[in-house]
Amino acid sequence: MTLEEAKGYVLRRAREMGLEAELLFVENRELSLRAQGGKLEELKEARQGGVGLRVVAGGRVGYAYTEELSQEALDWALEEARENALLSAKEGRIPPGRPLGSHDLLGEGLSAPLEAKRQAALSLEKALREDPRVRAVLMGGYMEREVRLALESTQGAQGAYRTGLAGLMGSFVMGEGESLKQGWDAQFGKEFHALDPGRTALELREKTARLLGARPLRTGRYRAYLEPKAMASLLMILAQAFSGKMAREGKSRLLGRLGERIASELVTLIDDPTLEKGLLSRPFDAEGTPARPTVVVEKGVFKTFLHNSETARALGQENTGHARRGYRGPLGVGPSNLYLAPGGDLKLTDGVVITEFMGLHAGANPVSLDFSLQALGLWVEEGEVRHAVENFAVAGNLLELLQAVEGVGSDLDWVLMDAAYGSPTVAVAELSFAGA
Amino acid sequence: MLQAELLEAVLKRALAGGADFAEVYAERSRKRQMVVRSGRLEDALSGLDYGAGIRLFFGTEVVYAYTNDLTKEGLLEALETLLKAKGTLGKVDERGMGGLDFRKGAPKGLHAPKVPYGEKDKRYRLERLLEAESGARIAPEIRQVEASLLEWEQEVLIANTEGVLAEERRVRTRLFVLAVAQDGAEVQTGYAGPGKSVGLELFDLYPPKAVGEKAARQALTNLRAKPAPAGTFPVVVGPGFGGVLFHEAVGHLLETTSVAKKASVLSDKLGERIAGPAVTYIDDGTLPHAWGSTEVDDEGRPTERTVLIEGGVLKAYMVDRLGHLQTGYPMTGSGRRQDYTFAPTSRMRNTFIAPGDKKPEELFEGIEFGLYAKEMGGGQVKPGSGEYNFAVQEGYIIRKGRIEEPVRGAMLVGKGPETLMRVVAVADDWENAPGMCGSLSGAVPVEVGQPHVLVSEIVVGGRA
Repeated sequence: MTLEEAKGYVLRRAREMGLEAELLFVENRELSLRAQGGKLEELKEARQGGVGLRVVAGGRVGYAYTEELSQEALDWALEEARENALLSAKEGRIPPGRPLGSHDLLGEGLSAPLEAKRQAALSLEKALREDPRVRAVLMGGYMEREVRLALESTQGAQGAYRTGLAGLMGSFVMGEGESLKQGWDAQFGKEFHALDPGRTALELREKTARLLGARPLRTGRYRAYLEPKAMASLLMILAQAFSGKMAREGKSRLLGRLGERIASELVTLIDDPTLEKGLLSRPFDAEGTPARPTVVVEKGVFKTFLHNSETARALGQENTGHARRGYRGPLGVGPSNLYLAPGGDLKLTDGVVITEFMGLHAGANPVSLDFSLQALGLWVEEGEVRHAVENFAVAGNLLELLQAVEGVGSDLDWVLMDAAYGSPTVAVAELSFAGA
Repeated sequence: MLQAELLEAVLKRALAGGADFAEVYAERSRKRQMVVRSGRLEDALSGLDYGAGIRLFFGTEVVYAYTNDLTKEGLLEALETLLKAKGTLGKVDERGMGGLDFRKGAPKGLHAPKVPYGEKDKRYRLERLLEAESGARIAPEIRQVEASLLEWEQEVLIANTEGVLAEERRVRTRLFVLAVAQDGAEVQTGYAGPGKSVGLELFDLYPPKAVGEKAARQALTNLRAKPAPAGTFPVVVGPGFGGVLFHEAVGHLLETTSVAKKASVLSDKLGERIAGPAVTYIDDGTLPHAWGSTEVDDEGRPTERTVLIEGGVLKAYMVDRLGHLQTGYPMTGSGRRQDYTFAPTSRMRNTFIAPGDKKPEELFEGIEFGLYAKEMGGGQVKPGSGEYNFAVQEGYIIRKGRIEEPVRGAMLVGKGPETLMRVVAVADDWENAPGMCGSLSGAVPVEVGQPHVLVSEIVVGGRA
């Protein structure tokens, strides 16, 4: 069956089986081009899609999905979802829905000949090599992703949208004498034509080159300047503490702290799924709740968790429209474009500039919010960067870090992970550094 | 899953289009996940992944396409997209003319489940999860317990223009318990997550109650632990998941994915001493029922036991087909991928430091002050600089040779080649543990392992 035929079939069967059902149809198209040594090394062109089911039977929720769209596979998925629901203790319902329209958030953003995209990968790779300190280029690459999503439920929800993004990525090794550093970074945007391989290559090289000749860092407590991407990567961990789902499961330290000051008053955190050119903007969430901006932390005060209909009801709070669900997974909660609002001028005085954190999945605990992370950085003295530092880890707790913010810059930049996270450079009064 | 005639048609079309090599990888995976919280089944999910990837080589240039449409039309369409991208659409190469003679490999069932999923109903599984949860309820400080079961039944078919036609059914089961302990504002976690290439006999191998208790004990230990000290110390790394240190610090640097591009600090070092003489490091894809074992790799080659480092000397790299083309090193059955959406690259399977000749307690003797990293979390490495990090999930201070108070939040950081040279002793108590390893070709199941290992110094990131 085609996806369209499958949609009709599953909805009809669900009604016949007396199920409340919500169907998520996703079609992804991916193109990636990787260049190395002046040649195209890998081209990947792909389509993938499937249907994800959330059903309610006997007042309980169950899930299933399938990528095979044969009648047999669709029947299997429906039966598994029903069986899962009947065994489950999770009470729920498919929220009442309405027509949500059909939206195009991508337009002609990716419209360019394949050859132009191939050239983008090749010129990025070539430009990465244009520095005698570059010892090896693992790859220079271009990737784009186009997503078509449709949501339909037996309760009246019906909507669709198309979105996507394009990006350049580079991975390379730079060296100076014995000192070696690996650079890996990516730049994303909503439009192919806005990408600039030459400039991206230059930025990637400069960002890595400044880390060469690094010296050990003496163990101690120093002021820290977290560069935008470093701080943004911490927001990914912090977002879990803002999740209504984590709160409901007793896994958020912010439970019971609504309205309290949890951060320095310089800190305002916003999730905005309506952000123009936002990498992961969307017209509605995975349950069909229309998108709107949510201020999570305002001048240090914790305003709200991020909720879907289920977590909002469980905690007796307002649904913020942050349901997240891929067709392969159960209903969750997640931000779209979460960022720390830019402040003003930020001058370096003394301390350590942290350019990058590594090992976030292992070194930061999303429940306790304790972290101990390997980092790369620069030593700052008397307002000037003196040299790079290496072989050290930074430790603390994310809530303590937010409290200790003493400056917020204006250079907002984004990283793309499970959501888009953005931050300007942030100065933190003191963090614990372990080194030599 | 797919008929030989269909495979032949696709592969021959690829050769006719000028490819030097073509491969079809088809997959149908059934997955089930059940999550129990607070004595209730909360998330229950079943899924069917179904798709195929087509990979073509033009010299060492790789083009890859995947699709969920496994009909002849669907596969040929995906293929035509690739040929069009290469500019060879419509070309007819004589290599596409001859017949393909498939050598069909019969799976031996080396890792076949003893208790297949169909033998028990879902309620049976739910009861085991409830046992795991109750096993974790050992103290009032345990506030939240999450017990989950993952079932993963993957059928793969790999065919290529060299006549390989391999099929395998891979069954993997994992039980995972997360315990959250709280005392006032202090919140700490503990984990346990045994997994094997087995069916529901996993519950016999790892009684759920004991798994729950292990997670809870770790959470309680962390709750009363002080922040880890910061500085450079001798570190004894515990067995089992402790092997993740060398997985990150060394294993990834020995994959041809980075070695072929000279982007690993351990490129071009075969035959050289790269580790202390106590270190023998093995990647074994054949260990019966291990989490990272398969009969054939995702390129259809039989998996092997590969001795990477012997007595401190580098003996071999992990080599996939592309890596072999690029370097000339023999293939080691190490081509792996998460699923049909990834082209394979060289990856680890079950990688461990072989047992040494010391008793574990001998490793602690003579340490004035150091860290015992008993259980590990995950980690990360940059192959180009060798810089790695990994988190200690359960750690203790070593003082005058004795294991003393617990510490939490320790992160070990360093450079792989330096750490390898600093391995001064290896004990005789080997153990492996399962994990998911993420890299270029996605997340694949692997085991990491080792006996107790003493490293003379590592930077420990704690609180200064």
